[in-house]
Amino acid sequence: MLLELKEVNKLPVKTFRWLGANKLNINEVIPDIKPFKRVELTGEGVKDIKVTYHNNKESENMPPTGMGDEAAAFICCHKNREMTVTVPRGKKIIEPLFLSYRLDQENPALAEELFLLAEEDSEVTLVITYEGEAGTPLFHGGLIYLMADKNATIHLIQVQLLPDGGIHFSNIGAECKECSKVNITQCELGSSHTVSGIMADLRGNKSELTVDTIYFGDKERSLDFNYVINHYGKNSKSDMKVNGALLNSSRKIFRGTIDFKKGASGSEGAEGEYTLLFDKNIKNVSVPLILCGEEDVSGKHAANSGKIDENKLFYMMSRGLSEGEAKKLMLEAWFHPAVNNIPSEALREQVFQYVKERLNHVESL
Amino acid sequence: MEAVKNKTQINDVDRSIYDIKDKVNAAFKTSKGLTFGIVNQISLEKNDPAWMREFRQKALKIYNQLDIPVWGPSLEGLNIEDIVAYVRPNTKLQLKWEEVPEDIKNTFERLGIPQAERTSLAGVGAQYDSEVVYHNVKEEVKRLGVIYTDMESALREHEELVKEHFMKLVTPGDHKFAALHGAVWSGGSFVYVPPGVSVEIPLQSYFRLNAPGAGQFEHTLIIVDKGASLHFIEGCSAPKYNVSNLHAGCVELFVREGARLRYSTIENWSKNMYNLNTKRASVAKNATMEWVSGSFGSKVSYLYPMSILKGENARMEYTGITFAGKGQNLDTGVKVVHAAPNTTSHMSSKSISKDGGCCTFRSAVVMGKEAEGAKCAVSCESLMLDSKSRSDTIPVMDIRNDNVDIGHEAKIGRISDDTIFYLMSRGLSEGEARAMIVSGFAEPIAKELPLEYALEMNQLIRLEMEGSIG
Repeated sequence: MLLELKEVNKLPVKTFRWLGANKLNINEVIPDIKPFKRVELTGEGVKDIKVTYHNNKESENMPPTGMGDEAAAFICCHKNREMTVTVPRGKKIIEPLFLSYRLDQENPALAEELFLLAEEDSEVTLVITYEGEAGTPLFHGGLIYLMADKNATIHLIQVQLLPDGGIHFSNIGAECKECSKVNITQCELGSSHTVSGIMADLRGNKSELTVDTIYFGDKERSLDFNYVINHYGKNSKSDMKVNGALLNSSRKIFRGTIDFKKGASGSEGAEGEYTLLFDKNIKNVSVPLILCGEEDVSGKHAANSGKIDENKLFYMMSRGLSEGEAKKLMLEAWFHPAVNNIPSEALREQVFQYVKERLNHVESL
Repeated sequence: MEAVKNKTQINDVDRSIYDIKDKVNAAFKTSKGLTFGIVNQISLEKNDPAWMREFRQKALKIYNQLDIPVWGPSLEGLNIEDIVAYVRPNTKLQLKWEEVPEDIKNTFERLGIPQAERTSLAGVGAQYDSEVVYHNVKEEVKRLGVIYTDMESALREHEELVKEHFMKLVTPGDHKFAALHGAVWSGGSFVYVPPGVSVEIPLQSYFRLNAPGAGQFEHTLIIVDKGASLHFIEGCSAPKYNVSNLHAGCVELFVREGARLRYSTIENWSKNMYNLNTKRASVAKNATMEWVSGSFGSKVSYLYPMSILKGENARMEYTGITFAGKGQNLDTGVKVVHAAPNTTSHMSSKSISKDGGCCTFRSAVVMGKEAEGAKCAVSCESLMLDSKSRSDTIPVMDIRNDNVDIGHEAKIGRISDDTIFYLMSRGLSEGEARAMIVSGFAEPIAKELPLEYALEMNQLIRLEMEGSIG
């Protein structure tokens, strides 16, 4: 079937058209979306939560999403997995919950809708992994709503390790009430086309959001991100960190917006994007926006792109590593802070192994 | 305990000098709107050569085909059908100040232009509405072979040079208002600095738009030949009327190998002005382009000086400040294309928004495949003085080469209570402390300007820091 989305990952405000950064147009052939095998939540904490497999949520009551309404409507219309997870009031679930999707010839297309509600004073950690069988055309499209009630905390960790040829999109809308926290970690390491959007509304006073993302582009891979944090609540805080590496002919665009709405006094927002560049044929586009309608705020962004620091490389080579080995080691170190957010030793190891494997195929290293 | 957050009263820029309206005494003006007939009329009136007449008609055709920008501040209040594209003042170009008609002379006297010419400039051009009314350059500069004249004279006296460069850097197809400019341009300055010549003191053109509901479309073309150097200053102002005025000027700068050009602008158009100006520089091998830009006036501004670094080791520096007060939406910034190895660019932008004003910093940095070893640093700071105002930062970086180094930093915020507290602990009053912080914020820009302009800017943003608390 054809996945045709004309306006996704739209910048909240447009800029010069000739740069082609205002939005993304998706036009891809994907495997037909048929019923997908049942996948259950695992982990110690499952017994403490409420799970239903039919979402009857009115989309107009849902928070806006990073990729936008068109992508959300596509999933609503074609979803073959849906789930609502409710963490009851006052429940702090220490052990993480896991949701592992494996796409293969039998189940090549996953269109999932997930609604995660953390009620007042609760806490939950959800780890979702996407893997797949190599050599088969695969598609994953996700629509995830995160709602954190007063004093609640949600940790969402997404690990995407799909093989080449996969098409992946992740569309997140989050809403944070008073004193709540949402922490999102995205490891966008696989698939040929990755599109990721997060929109978070910090509605409550003292609400907080962090995003920690790593990505890895090689071959002809393309990555397109759009993160938008809207500060409405007073003394709300946000922090976005995006670290990535681009090799071969890969291309990436990162749009990151901190939007301080009028009335969000005392709020702070920070955004840092760092890209390591390895080859001549890469394309790296960064669009870090700060929009501000409130005087009493502090917003910062920094973006840096360049090669690996030659002094560090030289130091490591003087310790007996080859240039390729040194670069690989530094790349692993680059990903470490985000990977450390994964609350499972085995999964962390799997991620590093996946990266190593991919690096072994890079000729320039 | 929550710190008490006080506010300092920062007054609007004092515009009394700029707002004095002169009686409109035009010798000729076109009717409102834009048609092939009007464009032809301008061409005939200006006695254009055939190629220019044709060029204008082509540009108008392009204008009709292009849409207005879908990004940036609203242009709803601008109706081109209400704009008079050409207003010729009731005088010919004068080479002697005494011969400029009294009313026009008085306007420029009030703005301090002739005095500046006597004390600190190598040459001056003054445009009143659509035509340049006075142009003069010092003998010693002329003797060096420097040409500094109005565009109309250049078109007659240096036709080949003009034809070779005119709207080649900013083509009419660039955007709708560049096309508009191509169709109805009038006035502006032409400068040619021969190889190796260093013009030690600046040249200045001052643009004054007096007629209500009129457009000013001056064209500035500067060629700084190999190894030469020049500082060019541009000033603009207009009195405030109730109808919209339009400024769609075009600046094309050619900085040849090893040359250096500094282009300084103090823009103080009135708050009924739509300032949709296009500025672009082509920078050759080992050449340096420096932009210094102060934007204080206009209702709406779209202003992004662009540099194309096309020769190895070409350099660009941009230093800009934007101050938006009540009713102003100033969208300013910078564009740079690194198209050769080891090119460098450095951009520093500051903005202050108050009383409902809106400042946007918009930038584009493009590093192409050829830009091996290129370096770019962008720094952008915004100060919000109240919550009625807005301040947005919209940068884009597009990199297509791994051997580059690019850094971007932006900060937005208010005057920090800690800093105030520190300064007060050193014996300053709160008002003085705030005044010092705001002056310090604008200081890096002020020091890039020639003294008298720095003074003008300080006067503009002296902000009359009265320290009234509350």
